[in-house]
Amino acid sequence: MEGTAVVWIVALETVLAGALHLFLPRIARHGLLFGVYIGEERVQSEVTSRIRRAWSRTVLAGTVVTVALQLLFLRRPPVAIACLGVYLTGLVGLYLWAYLSAKKLALPASPPPPAVAILEEDGSAGLLPHLTLVFAVVCSLLGLAYAAAAYPSLPAQIPTHFGFSGAPDAWNPKSPGTVLLLPILGVIQAFGLGLVCVLVSHAKRALRLGDGGASLRAQLAFRRAVTRFVCGVTWIVSVMFLLVTVFSIRTAQGTSAGIPIAVLALAGLMILVSLGSIVVLGLRYGQGGARLEGPTKAPLTDGLADNRYWVLGMFYVNPSDPSVMVERRFGIGYTVNLGNWKVVAGLAGFLLLTLGVTLLAVL
Amino acid sequence: MQALVIDPAAHEPVYGQIARQLREAIASGTLAPGRALPAVRTVAGDLGVNLNTVARAYRQLQDEGFLEITERAGARVAAPSEGSSRERLDPLRRDLRTALARLRQAGVPVPDLKKMLEAELAALGGRRRG
Repeated sequence: MEGTAVVWIVALETVLAGALHLFLPRIARHGLLFGVYIGEERVQSEVTSRIRRAWSRTVLAGTVVTVALQLLFLRRPPVAIACLGVYLTGLVGLYLWAYLSAKKLALPASPPPPAVAILEEDGSAGLLPHLTLVFAVVCSLLGLAYAAAAYPSLPAQIPTHFGFSGAPDAWNPKSPGTVLLLPILGVIQAFGLGLVCVLVSHAKRALRLGDGGASLRAQLAFRRAVTRFVCGVTWIVSVMFLLVTVFSIRTAQGTSAGIPIAVLALAGLMILVSLGSIVVLGLRYGQGGARLEGPTKAPLTDGLADNRYWVLGMFYVNPSDPSVMVERRFGIGYTVNLGNWKVVAGLAGFLLLTLGVTLLAVL
Repeated sequence: MQALVIDPAAHEPVYGQIARQLREAIASGTLAPGRALPAVRTVAGDLGVNLNTVARAYRQLQDEGFLEITERAGARVAAPSEGSSRERLDPLRRDLRTALARLRQAGVPVPDLKKMLEAELAALGGRRRG
C-alpha cells in the first residue's frame, strides 16, 4: 500500500515537473529565449517558434511516457523513482539543446548593453522578510532547546526515521548526534531560508531602457510576490521542523505514537503551496513581471541582457555587479550572482556547515 | 520617471556619466531641491557597477554643491545658492573660459558659440534666480 502511494506521488511529481517545463518558455522576459538574450525583435521569428515547438512536443511526450512507465510498475517504487531520475536528466539534456540552439541567435557581445538606474527608491520591503527570519530562527532554537532539555530523559534506543503513516520504522542508539542533528539542521536552514527571504526582497531590478517605468513597476510587483511566496514557505518549513523535532522526542519518550498525520499534512500543504504559488506567479506575473510588461520593444539592459555573464543561461557570474540576488533568465524567481565573493563564501559556508554537522552526528 | 543611462563602452568613465546626468537633471530642475536620491547600493545594483563608483559620483556632486549627503537622510538634491561669493564663482568662470577657449580653438566662430550657449541654457530650462 505504501509502495503504491509512493509511485502515485512520484507520478504526480513527474506530471507537475512536465507541466512546469511546458509553460516556462512562455513566461520568460521578452527578448530572452532559453537563457539567451536574443533581443526583442527576434523573439517572435520562425526559428524561435521552431525551437519552442520542439521543446513543448518533447516535454509532453517525455512526460506521458514516463508516467505510463511509472504506473506500469505500480508496485515497484524504485522503478518509478528511477524513471523520474531518467526523465529529469532528459529535461536537462533537452534544456542544453534548446540553450545551444538559442545561442546561435544571441546578440553580439560587443557593444555591451547599456545599464539603467531609475531614480526612484523601491519603497520599503516591509517587515515581512525580517519577521520571517526572526520567526524561523526562534522556531528552530525552540526545537533545539526542547531536544537538549529532553536528552537526559530519553531511552537508550530512539526512533530516527518515520514512515508515511507517521509511525517510527528505524531506531538508533541515543547519542547527541542522533538526538540533536535534526534541530541543529533546523537552525541552519532557518538562518539560510530567512536570509533568502531578506535577500529576495532586495533583489536586483532588471530594467528596460526607455519604457517610462513599466519594467520597474512590473519588477517590483513580481519581487513582492516572490518575497511573499518565499516567506510563506519559510514559515511552513519552520513550523514543520519544530513539530517533527517535538514529536520525535515525544515518540522516544513514549508519550506519542509517532508523528501525527496533521504534521505530515503540513508537509503536503507546503508542497501544494509551493507548486501552486509557482504556477500563480508564472501565469499572473510571468518571470520578472514579463506578463505585466507585455511584448515590449524596449530593450533589456545590464546584467540580464549581457550574455557574457551567463553560463548555460542559468548561472550569473559578474564580479563587477554588487548584487547578490538577480532575476533568472530561465525559470521563475531569482538566482545568486556567483561573481560576488560574499555569495560564494556564504554558499560554501552553508554547505560546509550542513555537511560538517551531519558528519559529526553520524560519526 | 527620471533614469540614468550608462554606456559601458563610452570613453567617459562610469562615475563621470552618473555625475554628468545627475548634474544636468538638477540644473534643469528635473530633480527638484530636496528630492531624495536612491541609496548608493540601489543605484549600483541597478547599473551593475561597484558601490564606490556611484559613491564617487555622489561625493563629486556634493563637492560641487549639487547634493547634500547626510548619514540619516542619505543623498538629497541641494537647493541652489541664494548668492555666490567671488571665491565660489571665480573657479567656475575659469572653467567656462577654458571650455570657450577650447571651442574657439576647435574652430567654432563666435556667433555659433553664442547660439551654442543659448541652446545649452535653454536645455537647462532657463532656471533663474532673483
